[in-house]
Amino acid sequence: NEHSERMKKFKNKGKDAAALRRQRVEVSIELRKTKKDEQILKRRSISLSLMEETLPLGEDKRNEITQMSLEEIVEAVNGSNTELQLQATQATRRMLSRQKDPPINQIIELGIIPRLVEFLNHADQAPLQFEAAWALTNIASGTSDHTKAVVEGGAIPAFISLLSSPHMHISEQSVWALGNIAGDGPLYRDALINCNVIPPLLALVSPVTPVGFLRNITWTLSNLCRNKNPYPPLDAVKKMLPVLICLMQHEDKEIISDSCYLTDGSNDRIQIVVDTGILPRLVQLMARPELIVMTPALRAIGNVVTGTDEQTQAAIDAGVLAVLPSLLRHVKPTIQKEAAWTLSNIAAGPCQQIQQLITCRLLPPLVELLDKGDFKAQKEAVWAVANFTTGGTVEQVVELIQSGVLKPLLNLLLAKDSKTILVILDTISNLFLAAEKLGETERLCLLVEELDGLEKIEALQTHDNNMVYRAALNIIEKYFS
Amino acid sequence: MELSDANLQTLTEYLKKTLDPDPAIRRPAEKFLESVEGSQNYPLLLLTLLEKSQENVIKVCASVTFKNYIKRNWRIVGILVEDEPNKICESDRIAIKANIVPLMLSSPEQIQKQLSDAISIIGREDFPQKWPDLLTEMVNRFQSGDFHVINGVLRTAHSLFKRYRHEFKSNELWTEIKLVLDAFALPLTNLFKATIELCSTHANDASALKVLFSSLILIAKLFYSLNFQDLPEFFEDNMETWMTNFHTLLTLDNKLLQTDDEEEAGLLELLKSQICDNAALYAQKYDEEFQPYLPRFVTAIWNLLVTTGQEVKYDLLVSNAIQFLASVCERPHYKHLFEDQNTLTSICEKVIVPNMEFRAADEEAFEDNSEEYIRRDLEGSDIDTRRRAACDLVRGLCKFFEGPVTGIFSGYVNSMLQEYAKNPSVNWKHKDAAIYLVTSLASKAQTQKHGITQANELVNLTEFFVNHIQPDLKSASVNEFPVLKADGIKYIMIFRNQVPKEQLLISIPLLINHLQAESIVVHTYAAHALERLFTMRGTNNTTLITAAEMAPFVEVLLTNLFKALTLPGSSENEYIMKAIMRSFSLLQESIIPYIPSVITQLTQKLLAVSKNPSKPHFNHYMFESICLSIRITCKANPDAVGSFEEALFMVFTEILQNDVQEFIPYVFQVMSLLLEMHKNEIPSSYMALFPHLLQPVLWERTGNIPPLVRLLQAYLERGANTIASAAADKIPGLLGVFQKLIASKANDHQGFYLLNSIIEHMPPESVDQYRKQIFILLFQRLQNSKTTKFIKSFLVFINLYCIKYGALALQEIFDSIQPKMFGMVLEKIIIPEIQKVSGQVEKKICAVGITKILTECPPMMDTEYTKLWTPLLQALIGLFELPEDDTVPDEEHFIDIEDAPGYQTAFSQLAFAGKKEHDPVGQMVNNPRIHLAQSLHKLSTACPGRVPSMLSTSLNAEALQYLQGYLQAASVTLL
Repeated sequence: NEHSERMKKFKNKGKDAAALRRQRVEVSIELRKTKKDEQILKRRSISLSLMEETLPLGEDKRNEITQMSLEEIVEAVNGSNTELQLQATQATRRMLSRQKDPPINQIIELGIIPRLVEFLNHADQAPLQFEAAWALTNIASGTSDHTKAVVEGGAIPAFISLLSSPHMHISEQSVWALGNIAGDGPLYRDALINCNVIPPLLALVSPVTPVGFLRNITWTLSNLCRNKNPYPPLDAVKKMLPVLICLMQHEDKEIISDSCYLTDGSNDRIQIVVDTGILPRLVQLMARPELIVMTPALRAIGNVVTGTDEQTQAAIDAGVLAVLPSLLRHVKPTIQKEAAWTLSNIAAGPCQQIQQLITCRLLPPLVELLDKGDFKAQKEAVWAVANFTTGGTVEQVVELIQSGVLKPLLNLLLAKDSKTILVILDTISNLFLAAEKLGETERLCLLVEELDGLEKIEALQTHDNNMVYRAALNIIEKYFS
Repeated sequence: MELSDANLQTLTEYLKKTLDPDPAIRRPAEKFLESVEGSQNYPLLLLTLLEKSQENVIKVCASVTFKNYIKRNWRIVGILVEDEPNKICESDRIAIKANIVPLMLSSPEQIQKQLSDAISIIGREDFPQKWPDLLTEMVNRFQSGDFHVINGVLRTAHSLFKRYRHEFKSNELWTEIKLVLDAFALPLTNLFKATIELCSTHANDASALKVLFSSLILIAKLFYSLNFQDLPEFFEDNMETWMTNFHTLLTLDNKLLQTDDEEEAGLLELLKSQICDNAALYAQKYDEEFQPYLPRFVTAIWNLLVTTGQEVKYDLLVSNAIQFLASVCERPHYKHLFEDQNTLTSICEKVIVPNMEFRAADEEAFEDNSEEYIRRDLEGSDIDTRRRAACDLVRGLCKFFEGPVTGIFSGYVNSMLQEYAKNPSVNWKHKDAAIYLVTSLASKAQTQKHGITQANELVNLTEFFVNHIQPDLKSASVNEFPVLKADGIKYIMIFRNQVPKEQLLISIPLLINHLQAESIVVHTYAAHALERLFTMRGTNNTTLITAAEMAPFVEVLLTNLFKALTLPGSSENEYIMKAIMRSFSLLQESIIPYIPSVITQLTQKLLAVSKNPSKPHFNHYMFESICLSIRITCKANPDAVGSFEEALFMVFTEILQNDVQEFIPYVFQVMSLLLEMHKNEIPSSYMALFPHLLQPVLWERTGNIPPLVRLLQAYLERGANTIASAAADKIPGLLGVFQKLIASKANDHQGFYLLNSIIEHMPPESVDQYRKQIFILLFQRLQNSKTTKFIKSFLVFINLYCIKYGALALQEIFDSIQPKMFGMVLEKIIIPEIQKVSGQVEKKICAVGITKILTECPPMMDTEYTKLWTPLLQALIGLFELPEDDTVPDEEHFIDIEDAPGYQTAFSQLAFAGKKEHDPVGQMVNNPRIHLAQSLHKLSTACPGRVPSMLSTSLNAEALQYLQGYLQAASVTLL
């Protein structure tokens, strides 16, 4: 209507709506343990070795032969007896596949990595190739230094050429090794990309590829898309994206899970993902009960809504708002938190998007979360409310208050986190601005006092954080004195 | 300064002098120290003294001086700020950092504290980058085994790290914390374990235990700081160690650590309190990880509460512990820990009820420190009290268990009331607890203004009121069981919205009666309760209790209120004075018969307190009451103003002569009110004062400015002609005031108030000679420092001028200053800025003024100004239709936000001295939109065809549509 048209001219003056959207990472330093349910970036191949240990008794002979000392291994590997080379390589691989404390450092210190890499090229000796590839895979699965040792041994080009090995198990092992190298970080990821790893890797994906193999390929592809500072090269992502999108349609949940780890990143990257038309599928996957599927899908959508208003609208059109309520009520705190973060970025949009958020009944779960959620999720919910009050129309803000947001919001003024407190105080100021426009300042004052908000704000006037104390003082002086 | 014995000697002497009680000796010594503190080696001399001086006082004095010196000078404010040079040279800085830690650790405690503070100030600036070895130096001392040293390290670490509790998350901060964790977390954990072991080996050694427990307290505090921002990996991995030990410490008791002091918390209490905080931190922030430990802590803390005594020294511990339970019991997934009926009963019985009891300390405060008691009990500054914590727990439990909790407590309330009934004089405290319990149980939401606004429906408040509250208040003696009387009155106060009106009316005479009680708390509460009842709103926005209903009690109410002011301890009781003000306001003309006596008592009071004004609220309400007396009386009988002047002027003169700064702004306001009551020409007594009001000294105090401007405005309104004829020589002085005010960004709007009154009321010929000068002054200010506030006031002024003197006069005066100036003002100020004008009257003035420029100013039609005609009209329509533009440029955010300008002098200090909003346009124009339409019509009749053509060429469509609406509403057309 005309009135709101005119109001718009003055709304949010001087505020850049985009600045409200918060990218995932605010600080790059972490005090916490690395997240347990994050996808694993490096994997050692032990499950196979366990299988081997339970092989029928008849093959025990081989086990006996492979019991070798480290000195014997060095000698055999560096020697020219191909049988001994195989035995030594196998012994090495077995040690590295041990469930507990694989002796990665000792093996590296033997200085045999370059030899093992050489073995990768022995196309006529498939068993040797395989054992070497396996051993190197497990070395690369360790710390960054371990991975570095493998790369500096010249393994990258060797593994890439093995992708096209006629033996599927060798090519699969190479995929795995390359996944570990890519998972180390942006430097090796880009090194791989520059060595043209993508085309042969993508060539392995076909309708007949076995599921197990496909899982490995997907995982390696996802590692090639991940990490930032810098993000992976845009054209590399563009090459992989169509295949990943296909894989997302697979019914295997691990494949889906890995394929959802799309790149985080700037708006132009988000646009590439949006353009593939995959958002409806991602939203569908968000609603799946399995954590390993839901988590990356939610992350991906969460990343999309950090983008522009149009990109966010694409996620809304894909139906994200219908799925969020149940995620906001999820038993896992991390899911609650991610969902609330996603919501907070949608609430940072223009008032039309805020309206959709109201229409899709997101306010009740938001209020619930604010009241009873885990603290990490409560913090995000506070942001959601703050953004809502910054960009919402007066009518929308009224709706927010009517949904009962005030009580849990004011309770959170007791939170042990200065930033959260400040965001709440800013939100309260926003609410008062809206109340002023409606001539309802006095009623809001009463409401805040009734809900024990006033005494909490008063108490914050002695807070040690200067900005918190000033914000509290400002509210008291303006509305309560 | 060299590091010489001579200098040490000199410094010693000056330090000694700074301790001298005689300012004539002390001040010059302080000045001297200040003058030499910029010299090299000065801080090192101080450090030498605090280490080596023979006299202990000098050691301590040197350490304090050193700490303050560091505090003032260590931080280099800005290399760019020239007058803030770096006072500590680099070599001194290095030497200080190299020596201060060992020095601190080897010093006696008194000095250690000062040095520890100094280290944390230095650390705030230099740690970690510029003081990389500080941490290792500290951690190494943990090995020393000397707990005096260890505590020194811990205390310093605490002051360095405690900022982690309030700072915002940032890369810089978290990098520092990570560094600290890497170096500190493991040694701290080992120290923690070792200290606890030592506690059991030294379980029988009191003095060793004291030192060890001091360490544990500091360790627990460090734990809190280090875990505040996020759960560090190290502490997650070592949660078992920390939490198991914390849990053990919570349950620990040792006779040797118990103190005899009833007030001051002992080490054991402080430690347990900190552990409660630590547990609460984990429960709030790291619930997922802490869950396995939480039930154990709930049990331990609950047992702690059951076994802790009533002494004041346990207050902090108990309220922290209860708050912990209160925050946990609200969480859905811990509901099960509480829901068992036996658990609930035992929490109610053993935790809540005992902590609601009226204790000896409360009784003492009630009698001897009533002001503090009232502040805590009435105004809710009881955040840390036990009663308050117990109340919060009741409310927390009610979230899930409202029914059972109310049931359990109803039983308690009944049994406590029965106890009381058996022997009131012995068991009155039981009734007190019962009332308190009902209050906390029943109240879900409370505000100062309305009392309880939501009540628990399980308690029948009216029944309780009739059966248990009223009987106490009806008892013959107002002085018996004062605590219960206060409880009863408070009950009325907070449940005033729940208790039916007829019960309130029954209570009013009882409350009036209790104004005579000897107990300060009781008569204060009575006054406060009456005041609150009188402000309650009924239907139709009238007061709930009417003047007619109060008629039978007027005399006794006023008598008792004024008599209460003579009771010991209440001579300046703000609650009573506020009740007096509120009674006047409610009773209106029914107080007139009592005014002679009332005004005598008020002036006597005024005279008495003006000797030494100390209670600002009391004074404020006293002046409000005086204003009300004047208003109410003069409304009925305008001539009575003379008798007020007679009664008050003597005291006012004394206040002005003795320069009682607190009261002068009030006096000006009351005088303004009195002056405005006069219907005829201004009395000569006021004219005699007029020259004095223009004295510059009066205007130097900012608090005087608003009321003085208001008073001068009253002079101009009532006596402009008298001033023009009898005091024309004072006009330059008046304009001098204007000139002074206009020059200040903070007070310029006050200058405009004055100027507007001059323009509005003074006969034009009397200010003719000054007009051009006024405009020049305004332009100078505009050029030198243009602010939004100034522009807004300026716009109002020029439009008022236009209304008063005509549009042509406005154009001429601008153009006489500089050719084409008028066009520039239109183009650069009026058109772009008019949207910023705020306030109904202000907008109306601008609308009428601009209409005049558009329609009554020939140069607008036929000179180069014509091109501005349509933009000006468009701006005017914008003023009518668009929302106000309240943007303020960033750099102006910090200019006097608190005094927002309005057309009226908005100094609303005295509500009852305020005047009605004055509209200088008034009846002349009722609806400025219609007025615009009519004026345009008139213009178009004078020059047919011109107006429609100007409109059609450049007015935008939306504006045109609005304009057509105005024309229609005014039923006119444009020719």
